[in-house]
Amino acid sequence: MKSLKWLWQYISPYKRRLFLALGLTLTNAILSNIRPYITGLIVDGVFRGGNFDILIPLVLAFIATIVFKDIFRICDHYMLEDTSQIVIMNIRRDLYSSMQQQDFTYFDKNRTGDIMTKMSADVEGIRHFVAWVINSAFESAVLFISALLIMGYINRKLTLCLFLVTPVIGIIAFRQTKSVHPVFHNIRQSLSRLNTVVQENISGNRVVKAFTRESYEIEKFKAANLEYKNANIEGSKVWRKYVPLLDSMANSLNVIILIAGGILTIRGDMTVGELVTFNSLSWALNTPMRNVGWLINDSLRTITSLEKVKEMVEERPKIYTKEEYITKDRIKGKVEFRNVSFSYGDTLVLDNISFTANCGESVAIIGATGSGKSTLISLISRFYDVTEGEILIDDINIKEYNLKKLRQNISMAMQDVFLFSDTIEGNISYGVPDASFNDVEEVAKAADAHDFIVEMTEGYDTIVGERGVGLSGGQKQRIALARALLSDSPILILDDTTSSVDVETEHYIQQTLKQYAKNKTTFIIAHRISSVKDCDQILVLDKGRIVERGTHEELLAKGGYYKKIYDIQQGNLDKVTA
Amino acid sequence: MARNKFDVDEKLEGEFNFGHLKRLLKYLKPHVKTVILTLFAILSSSALNLLSPMITSYAIDYKIPQKDLAGIIFLGLGLFLIYLYNAFTVRYRITSMSKMGQSVVERLREDLFVHLQTLPFSYYDSRPHGKILVRVINYVNALSDLLSNGIINLISDIFNVAVIFAFMLYIDLRLTGIVVVGGVIFTIAVFSLKDKQRRAWQLHSAKQSNLNAYIHESITGIKVTQSFTREWENQKIFEKQSQLVKDSFMKGKIIDICIWPLIETVSTLTTAVVFLVGAHWIFTGSITVGKVIAFTGYVSMFWNPIMNISNFYNSINNAMAYLERIYETMDIQPTVRDVEGAVEMPPIKGDVEFSHVYFSYDEGKPVLEDVSFKVKSGETVALVGPTGAGKTTIINIISRFYDIDRGKVLIDGQDIKYVTLNSLRKQMGVMLQDTFIFSGTIMDNIRYGKLDATDEEVIEAAKAVCAHDFIMTLENGYYTQVNERGSRLSAGQRQLISFARALLADPKILILDEATSSIDTQTEIALQKGLNRLLQGRTTFVIAHRLSTIKNADKIMFVDNKNIQEAGNHEELMAKRGHYYKLYTAQYNLSAV
Repeated sequence: MKSLKWLWQYISPYKRRLFLALGLTLTNAILSNIRPYITGLIVDGVFRGGNFDILIPLVLAFIATIVFKDIFRICDHYMLEDTSQIVIMNIRRDLYSSMQQQDFTYFDKNRTGDIMTKMSADVEGIRHFVAWVINSAFESAVLFISALLIMGYINRKLTLCLFLVTPVIGIIAFRQTKSVHPVFHNIRQSLSRLNTVVQENISGNRVVKAFTRESYEIEKFKAANLEYKNANIEGSKVWRKYVPLLDSMANSLNVIILIAGGILTIRGDMTVGELVTFNSLSWALNTPMRNVGWLINDSLRTITSLEKVKEMVEERPKIYTKEEYITKDRIKGKVEFRNVSFSYGDTLVLDNISFTANCGESVAIIGATGSGKSTLISLISRFYDVTEGEILIDDINIKEYNLKKLRQNISMAMQDVFLFSDTIEGNISYGVPDASFNDVEEVAKAADAHDFIVEMTEGYDTIVGERGVGLSGGQKQRIALARALLSDSPILILDDTTSSVDVETEHYIQQTLKQYAKNKTTFIIAHRISSVKDCDQILVLDKGRIVERGTHEELLAKGGYYKKIYDIQQGNLDKVTA
Repeated sequence: MARNKFDVDEKLEGEFNFGHLKRLLKYLKPHVKTVILTLFAILSSSALNLLSPMITSYAIDYKIPQKDLAGIIFLGLGLFLIYLYNAFTVRYRITSMSKMGQSVVERLREDLFVHLQTLPFSYYDSRPHGKILVRVINYVNALSDLLSNGIINLISDIFNVAVIFAFMLYIDLRLTGIVVVGGVIFTIAVFSLKDKQRRAWQLHSAKQSNLNAYIHESITGIKVTQSFTREWENQKIFEKQSQLVKDSFMKGKIIDICIWPLIETVSTLTTAVVFLVGAHWIFTGSITVGKVIAFTGYVSMFWNPIMNISNFYNSINNAMAYLERIYETMDIQPTVRDVEGAVEMPPIKGDVEFSHVYFSYDEGKPVLEDVSFKVKSGETVALVGPTGAGKTTIINIISRFYDIDRGKVLIDGQDIKYVTLNSLRKQMGVMLQDTFIFSGTIMDNIRYGKLDATDEEVIEAAKAVCAHDFIMTLENGYYTQVNERGSRLSAGQRQLISFARALLADPKILILDEATSSIDTQTEIALQKGLNRLLQGRTTFVIAHRLSTIKNADKIMFVDNKNIQEAGNHEELMAKRGHYYKLYTAQYNLSAV
C-alpha cells in the first residue's frame, strides 16, 4: 500500500484529469445502457406495436447516443493514456536522476542489467496500471454497486441471497493476492537475470569471441531464458487456479437467481417480471467479478514493480553534499591528506596516508599493481569517502564543499577509459558541452590526438563505438586526456593516462602538459620513471602505505623501491646499448 | 550498416511485410495441436454458454408458472454443469496458452541470441549496446501475448463472425447486404489508417530503443559523468529522449483509440439503416416483424468479434515494429563464416605465414597491401610501429576476425579460410587490452579460458601471471565476487586476470595486444620470468610499447605504410639503422633519465 501511496504523488498533480476521465467512464457506462433501451423501444414500439411515427426520432436518438459515447470514449482514453505517459515520464526522470547521484559503491553492487530492468520493464508495468487498471477497477466497481442498488430496490431478499457470494469472492481474492506476490517477484528476478546475461554477453563480445565461448554463452543464456520462461509459466499457474474460480463464482449468480428467484417467485415473494429484470441485470454483477482476478493480478504486478522503482528513487547515496556547505566557485588547489585510511569492506586499501600538495605542484604516485594508487586519487573527487582521517583542499575538509563544485574543480583522465558512442568531438567536449571547436582541436593537439583524428574518414565527426571500441588503447587514452584537459580546473588527475602510448608520444604529451598544467596541482599515476621524474613530489605506494617519498634525486639517493624500479628500467636499456 | 549513436533513429521499413508474419508462424508450428485443442475447448464452451440464456428463459416461461420446484432445481443444476465446464476450459486455456506463448518467445529469443553470437565485432562496435539488448529482451517479450492469446482469440472470433453471418444470410439476404456494405466501409477505413498507425509505432519503437541505449550508456559511463559533473546536462538529454518516447507513443495511441469508436459508429449507422429499411419493408409487407427483430439481434452480436479482430490487427501492427527489428538483426549475415566444406583445423604446431595479403575495412581504403611474412612455430614476434599502422589489424586477421581481400594466411601450411572458425579460434589465445570481467567470482573469470579446469589449474595459471598474491589478499580470495568491468579491481589486476584466463586456455598461438600496459614494472619483470617458461612451444604475437618486451622477441616487425618495413631480431635491426633503430634510440634517449 505504501508503494501505491508513493505512486499517488506522481498522479495527484493530474488528478483532475484522472477524475474527469473517470467521470467520462461513468457517463459512458450510462450511455451504453441507453442503447439497448432505445433498441427495445424500436423493437417493441415500432416493429411489434406498429407505431411508425416514432421511428425516425428514435433512430436519431440511437445514433446521437453512440456519437456522444464515442467522442467521450476518445477523450476518456486519450486523457488516461496521456496522464499515464506523463506519470511514467516523471518517474523515469526521477529514476535517472537518482541513478546519476549514486556513489561508486552502488554501482559496484548493482548490475547494469538490474538497473535497466527497473527503468524499462518496471516502468512499463506502472504505465499499464495508470492507463488501464485504475479505470477498469473503477468501471467494475461502479457497475457492481449500481447493479446491487437497483436489485436491492427491486427485491431485497434475492439481493441478500446474491450477497452471500461476496464474502467467498473476498476470500478468494485475498488468497490470490497472497500467493501471487512471490510469483511476480520471481518473474521479475529472472527477467533481471536474463537481462544481465544478455547485457554482459553484448558488452563482453570481444572476450567471448577471443575464447570461442559462443556455445558456453549460449548455454548460460539458455538457462536464464528457460528460468524466465518457467517463472512465467509458474506465474500462470496462480491465475490458472484463481481465474476459473472467480469465473465460476460470477456465473454461480445466475444459478442462484434461477433457483432462489424461482423459489421466491413460486412462494409469491416476487413477480415474474422482477425475476426477468434480475436476470437481465446479472451481467452487471458478473462482469466485474470476472475482472477481479485480472485486476488483482495486474495491480500486484504493478506493486512489485513499484517497490523496486520506489526503492531506487529513494536510495540515498552515502556521499552527498552536506546541508551547510561552503560555496567557493574556484578553489586554489592545495590538497592535503591527513592520516587517511580507506577500507573496502573488510579489506584495508589505504593505510594512514598523509601528504601535502601545494598549489601548482605536481605529485606522482607509483607503486605495484593494486597498491591503492587509483583508490587514493578517487578519494580526492569523493568517489569514495575516507574511512578514517580527512582530505583537505585549500585547508578545508572536502566534505564541507558542495560535491558538484568540488568535482568541477578537478579534471580527471581515468585509467579505465570510457568513451560514449558519440562523435570524437562530442567525447572530448563531454565535460564542457559548449566548448568551441577550436578549443576541442587545441586540446586534441596537446594530447597528440589531433593527427590520428583528422586521418579518420570523418575526422572529429567520426562516431566511436561504446567504450571506444574500434580505437586502439593509445588512441582512447589520448582522447580521454584531451577530454580532461578541456575542462580547465585547478586540479588535474592523470591516472595511468599514457600507459598504452609509445615513449615518443608520451614525451611529446609531457612537454605540452607542462604548459597546460603550469598553475595546476597535478597528480600523475604512472609506471615509467620517465613519466614521473620531473614531479615536485613522488610518492611510492606499497600495500596501501606510503613507503617512500621525495623528489627523483632524493629517492634515488635513498636506494629503495624507487631506485630498484629505476635500475630495472635503466638497466635493461644499458645492457642493450653496451 | 552505418554507425549509430543513441539519438539516431534506426531506419524504418517502408512496407508492411507479410513475410515477417509467415516467419513468425513457423514458431507456432510445433504447437498446432495445442491450438486446435484449445480452440475446441473454447468453442465448445461458448456454444454451451449460448444455451444458458435459453435454459433461464425456459425456466421463467414454463417452470415457474407451473410452480415446478424440482424442475427449477434440475435446470439450475444444468446451468451449474455448463459453468463448471466453462471453468474447466478457462483453466485449460490459461495453461496451454501461457505454455505456448512462453515457449514461442523462448525459442525466438534463443534464435536471436544464437545468431548474435555469430556476428562480428563490427556489429557490436557500430551501435550502442542498449539497442541490441532491447531487441533481445523487451521486443521479444512484447510478442508473447500476441502469439498465444492473440492467435486463439483471432481464430475463435473469425469462427464467430462466420456463424453469425450464416444466420444473418439465412434470415434475410437483403438486410445482410446492408451489413456487408457497413463492413466494407469499416475495412476501408481501418486499412487507410493502417500505414499511419504502423509508421507511428515504428517511430515509437525507434525512440524507445534510443532511450534505452541512452540509459545503458549512462549507467556504464557513470564514472566519467560524475567526474566531469555532467549530470545536469545528461538529465536534460534524457528528459528530451523521454519526451520523444511519450510523444511518439501518443501519436500511435491516438490512432488505436479511434479505431474502436470507428467500429461502433459504423455499426450503429448500419443498425440504424437496418431499422429504417426493416420498418419500411414491414410496412410494405415484404418481411415479417419476427425476422427483423431476430436480424437486429444478430447485427449487434456481429460487431463484437469484428471489433476484436480489428484489435488484434492493431496489436499485430504494433508488434510488426518490433518484429522488423528482430528479423533485421537475424538477417544480418556474418561476413566471416565457414566456407562450404570447411574442415576442422588439425592441432596447430604454430607456423604462421602471410602471403601477399591485402586488406581494407572500407572498400578503396587499403589498410594492408601485399604483406608477406613467415613465423616459425614457437617464435615470439613483436609488432611495432606508429599508432594506426595496422598492427592490431594483422593480429585480428590471424584469428580470422576479418577476411582478407586478397592473398593467403596460412597456419601450418593450411589456408585458414578453409577451416572452421571454431576449430581455428579454439586453438588461439587472444588477450586484448580491453579487459572484460564477467559478474561472478574471480575463479569463474579465470576459468572462462578453460571451462573444465580444476581449481588447482586456475590457481596455477594465476600464480604464473603473478596474480595469486593479490587475489589472496581479497576478502574471499578466488571466490571474491567481482562484477562487470570489475569495479573493485585495478586495471592492472584485471589485466593479470585476463592474462591468467588466456594462459589457462593453453593456446598454441598466443596473441597479446598491449596486454600488460597497466602493470607495474616489478610485476612485469616477475611476469616475464614466468612467461618465458610459459611461452615455450607457443607462437606468440605481441603488440607492446615497452622496449624490454620488444627487444627480447625472436622477431621484430616494424609496421608502417600498410606493410612491414623491416623484420629481424633486435640486434639485426639495430645494425640496419633503419626505422626500428630510429624508434629505439629515440625512445631510449627519452627514457634514459
